[in-house]
Amino acid sequence: MRRRLGKGFWIASGWIGLVLAAAVLADLLPLPGYDETLVGPPQAGPSLAHPFGTDGLGRDVFSRVVYGARVSLGVGIGAVLLGLLIGAPLGLLAGYRGKATDAVIMAVNDIALAFPALVFALAVVAFAGANLRNVLIVLGVLGVPAWTRLVRGTTMAFAGREFVLAARALGVRDRRILWREIVPNVSVPAASYAFLGMAVVIVAEGSLAFLGLSVQAPTPTWGGLINEGRTIMENAPHLVLAPALVMFLTVLSFNVVGDRLRALTDVRQSGLEHVRRAAAQPLPTAPHTPGGQLLQVADLRTHFVTERGVVKAVDGVSFTLERGRTLAVVGESGSGKSMLIRSILDLLPGAGVVRGGKVYLDGDDLTGFSPKEMRQVLGTRLAAVFQDPMTALNPVRTIGTQVAEPLRVHLGLSGKRARAHAAVLLASVGIPEPERVLRRYPHQLSGGMRQRVTIAMALSCGPDVLFADEPTTALDVTVQDQVLRLIHRQRQERNMATVLVSHDLAVVAEWADEVIVMYAGKVVERGPAADLFERTRMPYTEALLQSVPRLTDPAHHRLRVITGRPPDLAALPSGCAFHPRCPYARERCVTEAPPLFQETREHLYACWYPRGTEAAVGDPVPVALGESGPADPVPVALGESGPAALGEPAAGPVPAGTDRNGSEPGGPEHNGAGSAGPDLKRPELAGPEGADNRGR
Amino acid sequence: MAGSGSAHLRPPGQAVLRAEDLVVEFPAGRGRSVRAVSGVSFDLLPGETLGIVGESGCGKSTTARALMQLPPPLSGSVRLDGVELTRLKGEALRRTRRRLQMIFQDPISSLNPRRRVRDIVAEGPRVWGVGGDRVDEILEAVGLDPDTAATRRPHEFSGGQCQRISIARALVLEPEVVICDEPVSALDVSVQAQILGLLEDLKERYRLTLVFIAHDLAVVKNVSDRILVMYLGKTCELAPGSELVERPAHPYTRALLASIPRSGLGLPPADQLISGEPPSPVTPPSGCRFRTRCPKAAPRCAQEEPEMRSLGGDRWVACHYPEVETA
Ligand SMILES: Nc1ncnc2c1ncn2[C@@H]1O[C@H](COP(=O)(O)OP(=O)(O)O)[C@@H](O)[C@H]1O
Ligand code: SF4
Ligand code: SF4
Ligand SMILES: [Mg+2]
Repeated sequence: MRRRLGKGFWIASGWIGLVLAAAVLADLLPLPGYDETLVGPPQAGPSLAHPFGTDGLGRDVFSRVVYGARVSLGVGIGAVLLGLLIGAPLGLLAGYRGKATDAVIMAVNDIALAFPALVFALAVVAFAGANLRNVLIVLGVLGVPAWTRLVRGTTMAFAGREFVLAARALGVRDRRILWREIVPNVSVPAASYAFLGMAVVIVAEGSLAFLGLSVQAPTPTWGGLINEGRTIMENAPHLVLAPALVMFLTVLSFNVVGDRLRALTDVRQSGLEHVRRAAAQPLPTAPHTPGGQLLQVADLRTHFVTERGVVKAVDGVSFTLERGRTLAVVGESGSGKSMLIRSILDLLPGAGVVRGGKVYLDGDDLTGFSPKEMRQVLGTRLAAVFQDPMTALNPVRTIGTQVAEPLRVHLGLSGKRARAHAAVLLASVGIPEPERVLRRYPHQLSGGMRQRVTIAMALSCGPDVLFADEPTTALDVTVQDQVLRLIHRQRQERNMATVLVSHDLAVVAEWADEVIVMYAGKVVERGPAADLFERTRMPYTEALLQSVPRLTDPAHHRLRVITGRPPDLAALPSGCAFHPRCPYARERCVTEAPPLFQETREHLYACWYPRGTEAAVGDPVPVALGESGPADPVPVALGESGPAALGEPAAGPVPAGTDRNGSEPGGPEHNGAGSAGPDLKRPELAGPEGADNRGR
Repeated sequence: MAGSGSAHLRPPGQAVLRAEDLVVEFPAGRGRSVRAVSGVSFDLLPGETLGIVGESGCGKSTTARALMQLPPPLSGSVRLDGVELTRLKGEALRRTRRRLQMIFQDPISSLNPRRRVRDIVAEGPRVWGVGGDRVDEILEAVGLDPDTAATRRPHEFSGGQCQRISIARALVLEPEVVICDEPVSALDVSVQAQILGLLEDLKERYRLTLVFIAHDLAVVKNVSDRILVMYLGKTCELAPGSELVERPAHPYTRALLASIPRSGLGLPPADQLISGEPPSPVTPPSGCRFRTRCPKAAPRCAQEEPEMRSLGGDRWVACHYPEVETA
């Protein structure tokens, strides 16, 4: 918290503290009295004895400014406290009670707000007499409606939060709820507003004083000092400048403090919103020759340089992907799935990011592209769909303009033809009445429809690869099924490749041809989907699969629990990053990070003691030597055959259904601790009709 | 008021919680109102877990809050141990609070960011003057270190740990019934498994009766004895979990099951069962609310609202043409 307030906040607070202390302790300071005349030569400029000089009567201006602070700050703080004292309870009441209470309070409040405030202030002070008390009361009362409104709004926002509901469910009385649950949350925005309000009141008091409508002479006030000095400004400019400068700095400081406090209450960035595009800085990258695949990612690394150290969000990921195939990326949240996608697309936040490794699209090295070239690639050859469709849609523009835009920009279609094409696109993603939807705004559509629109936009220029980052996580199951089916069909029709990020293993098992399992920024297992689910090697993959509830489990079936939490990416455990949570970890896992071993040419895993192999039960022997036969684990030399290993599927791009059905009879032959996977390994559950009916 | 019927309710004396014909409305602007929950009934025997599934907006959370009287339903009855909660007001209602608790979906939003975790859990005992000595025990039972909880605030904990805090807060007063509204929907699968396991442990240890709401049928099936399927504010089907999954009778239940990837239940794919999205609850279809998406819809479905009726055993369905005995 301290860090986020920034230096300005502390300087400003320091200034306010200084002025406040001077005002309070003025009598104790070794200063001449503010009304003592001829303590120095009249109208003298600043000197050591009189740092702000003297005025026409030879009074010390510094002393007068210090005493003036009493009035300015006194009125500022006093009036704000008065407004708060009256306004806050009203706002709390209106915001918490709602209904009639709210309606009455806010009606009165609106009328009060409509009052011409300054005129009112002038009139009252002129009528009731210009003294400190009256000025303070008038300015304080004038602030009440704004306080009421602010506190009511904040209260309402918190009163709707679930923790308030929970307190009511516990039987906590209203007064205690207000006091313990709501007031502490309202206090930060209120404090912020108080500082901003003090700045306003100080200026207002200054203005009144300037007009002679504040505290009367001989008591000095800042506004009054400026007014006095005005007449002899040409001979003694310091008479105006000194109080003006002090007042300016004080008002500025109140504003800075209020502003910084307000920033505290703003929502922190989630990291998922669209970020400003900036080319990431390069990490050293080994030379690499691209193979012939559509998409090739070689040793991709994305590191964030933070105060806590280097966060390796993506750390050496390699894979290849052919047309017509779907690659799924799975892992817990924070494992680097989304960052991998963003790194490939070069959609990384600008500051503090370094990227290394290579991304080839049809042989073109995208990491060497300029931001401008990348933008062109992004619209046309690569496309992305994200979890929240609203991040990709502009809320104030119609669907029609937004879908037509890429068509105009990238395909150069005229406005009219782009619109017609947009309608065709919407129809192709299963949107009923596309013409009508074109005229709508995003908020008028359901979540599923919005996601269809973003898919249509992503597909509009015929990309080679579609990246979908949790595209259905926010959607209902029936709609999720429709959207995934749509992506799948489009992939077939357009002969694209798809990269699907998901935490839902059932979705992955259903739709992916190849799977990457990520843990702490690294690939820990990778291979053809069927193979990976059938012959799971890496304990983390196994644990993930067993922790998913299955429809076929009996009621109250205990799921596998992975103890602990994903590691802190800034302070990874030694050796295998999974070792603190791994039930099979042995000494070697703590000291040495396992490389990627080959189960088959395409199925790789990073583990010293893979499940279902001899190495899992035997003594810690170097696995590469421990076993013979087809399952012989051979470390893959990264950067050479590694990235290419997935590239040529043994039987070419086999239709996924065939793929999986073919491997079904194999059944689990390892895995003492119960078979892995949500319905993934049960032959009877993936009957041919189940797969064929998917319309593949 | 043609509700979805209450034939499936068991004799009143047996149930610890019994909701009958709940109706909840919200203003929908321009003087109209949306009936978010429309004639929903169910009951729970002591120690039972009732799962409620349905797509978002079908009224699951609204039902949960109506049970808690936060806010009370427009009409209908909620009986806790025979006491009619909907008629209680103020202090009398407050006194029943201890026995009925709730766990919310969003682990972050359901904890006050400005209070320390231990204070959050100790709030109930403080208000009621009982169970203060159980705070540490319950914190340990949900897998949190009491010393850490005494000094930290919620934002210093992960989503899964925050959900543990919520569970501790709900259980510290030893309630009879706990309503869990999507308690694992915001969590990763690994954390979800932890929380589901924890709920089962605590259920045994404290002999709880649970209402477990979720949109994920596999999750609901894992923890529930019986499952209630909801659609657009109505009940569709009620059956023990395994029966519901193996022999779904309501067309909507069948569609839900068919949309689950790899459910492999021999159902036709979901898009042959249903298409499109739920209609607006402001203007629900006449008769059966599911008829605009139902593959079996017939003229009768538009005119006559189906009521819950028995299919034998503990299976109940609200449909004129249920699918019987397919498997
Ligand atoms: N405070 C509210 N004001 C107006 N409408 C609401 C409010 N809360 C819920 N609704 C509406 O009630 C219906 C049911 O919502 P909800 O109970 O949250 O469903 P679920 O929990 O099943 O997702 C939805 O149509 C929703 O828009
Ligand atoms: S290398 Fe060791 S710690 Fe890591 S997954 Fe394998 S057995 Fe577990
Ligand atoms: S009552 Fe009719 S419309 Fe409703 S679910 Fe049954 S068959 Fe379908
Ligand atoms: Mg809900």
